[in-house]
Amino acid sequence: MKQPENQLVEHFFRHESANLVAVLTRAFGIRRIDLVEDMVQVAMLEAMHAWKQSGVPEKPAAWIHRVAKNRILDALRREKIHEKAIALSGQSIEGEESVVDQWLEEEQLPDSLLRMIFVCCHPSLERKTQIALTLKTLCGFGISEIARGLMLPEETVKKRIQRAKNSLATANVSLELPDPSQLTQRLDVVHDVLYLMFNEGYSTSHGTEPIRADICEEAARLCHLLCESTCSLPATRALLALMLFHAARFDARTDEHGAIVLLEDQNRTQWDRCLIVSAQSWLAQSKSDQPTTFHLEAAIAMQHCVSPSLAETDWQTIVLLYSRLLQLRESPVYTLNRAIALGQAGETGEALSQLQSLQSCEEMQNYFLLDCAFSHIYELEGNTQAAIDACLIALSKAVVPHEKELLERKLRKLTDQGR
Amino acid sequence: MPKYMFVYRGGHEGMEHTSPEEMQQVMQRWMDWIHAGIEAGWMLDGGAALKPEGAIVNPDLSVFDGPFTESKELVGGYSMVEASDLAAAIELAKSSPMPQSGGTVEVRELPNLGMQNE
Repeated sequence: MKQPENQLVEHFFRHESANLVAVLTRAFGIRRIDLVEDMVQVAMLEAMHAWKQSGVPEKPAAWIHRVAKNRILDALRREKIHEKAIALSGQSIEGEESVVDQWLEEEQLPDSLLRMIFVCCHPSLERKTQIALTLKTLCGFGISEIARGLMLPEETVKKRIQRAKNSLATANVSLELPDPSQLTQRLDVVHDVLYLMFNEGYSTSHGTEPIRADICEEAARLCHLLCESTCSLPATRALLALMLFHAARFDARTDEHGAIVLLEDQNRTQWDRCLIVSAQSWLAQSKSDQPTTFHLEAAIAMQHCVSPSLAETDWQTIVLLYSRLLQLRESPVYTLNRAIALGQAGETGEALSQLQSLQSCEEMQNYFLLDCAFSHIYELEGNTQAAIDACLIALSKAVVPHEKELLERKLRKLTDQGR
Repeated sequence: MPKYMFVYRGGHEGMEHTSPEEMQQVMQRWMDWIHAGIEAGWMLDGGAALKPEGAIVNPDLSVFDGPFTESKELVGGYSMVEASDLAAAIELAKSSPMPQSGGTVEVRELPNLGMQNE
């Protein structure tokens, strides 16, 4: 009886299933991904069943790998389709077996995962499908977890993933790494997927399900994998820096009841110093003649992370960085954030005129954050009544419960000030 | 103290759709429960799981492959415990993760035959 000191690290099954799916799909082709997933599931069930009583073996990953590989080889033999597989891959089953063993070696594993990243982020798929498929295949999430994480009905997620698999199989997408001429273009898509994946997990508008923190972690893990590989670009490292700066503040963003804590109220001693240092190092390694939006967003996040307080933040620099972001990409959200930074830097007049310019923007009209921003700038100006009015307008717009709670808290504070 | 064997049946129906996360949780519950029993002294041996496939040898010496029966009736594993009486053993069986996963625990006493190693 093994003692539980060798209890499995968190997410062991999830990550092992993702590793196996990546390697076995690489060996047997994207057309067999369903078979691969089924056999990986069988192997994991077997492992769970065998280990729950007698303890975890010395090398649990190797144990599962062996079982999954054998199950899939059995299945191929049993279904007598291996001739076909051999014809397609030009290898014998025994050949494939040794290839699988080799690819499952720890130092070879990242290569299979990288190939899988490019498959999941294939340009022929829709963005949301890319995210769902990545979570399923590379992060080992179950359908219901993905559905909860992305706030989608389970049925939708299931269909989306199945359709994606079918279309990749029909197109017989190869598991090769993109060739150099395509790399930048393919990486751009991967970056966007990982960025959106991180935002899905990070966004404050969906409450505080623990699974969402997992999504952030997985996005950062995959980005890190890319950064460690030969096919990364400066933008990849900037994106990782950006994720890590945000992740450093993760715990401080919610209180013990799960309610959102605003930047101004966050306990900065709770910010994760190690992550901040690591993020800074990645940002330093991301130097490029052509900074991307990731570079600039990471630079802004860093300004917050290194400031001892809200007041001591270098708002001038943040304004400048937002201006540069706006040169790269027109975005009302950047404009909004720039206006807030302007207000914090003391230029409330300019901030208000920027916000007013946004009022004609269709995207922003029904967006309660614009009114929140107005409220904030009025408050900075000392115009409490105008701040209260703007807050009330924000409350009249569609907001989810915990944002409503946040606004009401703000309103109470303003009303107290007004007395 | 009397010894009992816990025979676990079923509890893995529908597991083919279990997410890796849930799998890990189920396993952790089992390992925690068994370890707690070892610490407390009533779990003599966590035992082992039994693979679902196997064979049946009949009186006429014919041999059948498994599965023998519906999976919910399949013996999935066993453990050895020690308890003051059957009622106490039943309480221990109730505390196992088995009922949560829809399986049963059969509690069987090992008769004391007055052997030396008793």
